[in-house]
Amino acid sequence: MILEELAFLVLAAVAVVTAISSLLVRELVHTILWIAVFFVDLSAIYFLLEAPFLGVLQLGVYAGAVTVLLLFGIMVTRKRIFSREAATGIGAVPLALAVVTFIFLVASVGEFPQGPTVIHAYDPSFLSENLFNVNGPWLLLLGLIMLSAVGGAIYLVREGRE
Amino acid sequence: MTDLPIVGFVALSAALLAIGVFGILTRRNFILLLIAIEISMNAAILNFVYFGAYLGGTPGLTGQSIAVVLVGFAATEVAVGLGIVLALNRVKGTINVEKATELRF
Repeated sequence: MILEELAFLVLAAVAVVTAISSLLVRELVHTILWIAVFFVDLSAIYFLLEAPFLGVLQLGVYAGAVTVLLLFGIMVTRKRIFSREAATGIGAVPLALAVVTFIFLVASVGEFPQGPTVIHAYDPSFLSENLFNVNGPWLLLLGLIMLSAVGGAIYLVREGRE
Repeated sequence: MTDLPIVGFVALSAALLAIGVFGILTRRNFILLLIAIEISMNAAILNFVYFGAYLGGTPGLTGQSIAVVLVGFAATEVAVGLGIVLALNRVKGTINVEKATELRF
């Protein structure tokens, strides 16, 4: 469908522009604003891919929690939160490596059958069955890793540790 | 049901990965490094969702399930990363990663 392709092209362009802007602006608070737009944009792409559960998760976890956490990190480590970062330059080697990575990955598309892909809508009950029964051990592992990460983060920031 | 080109999605995720790699290699502020890593991880998650939808059926749902787990991992990584940022700021007075030299040899 032309309309969906157009929507995808706009969303993809916004994603690339916001990702680049978030890394190139010199005020860290502006970086957070750009990255928040990037996360919301990716959420819209997930909705376009008929994955509404993941889209909502992206909005809640990334655009909500991660953005606020990053903003909090800036607030507690600076006297003036709008102070500018020192310019670090772009660098020819990192730029060349990024371009080579991009070309290599896009060239790999030739391995797949070409043409538009038909994406089917899914039943949420099948997703929950797959998520909690088939892949249940992975979710359990995720919970244990998050628990140990919370312990590690508390250990890192506790008082009296130099 | 939607029809979307495979080239567009692979190009988008490749571009996001390239931007993330570029950010990791050039930025020295710890928070910007975390953001670059998040952009790279989002490229991977986008690939899982798209190729899950591309395959359809049970593999498609598995792609989304893996993406859900990866979103959780990414949030965990940011929480631990910010713990490191706070510890680094307390010890060094800056969050420039070039100042963190204790473990270098």
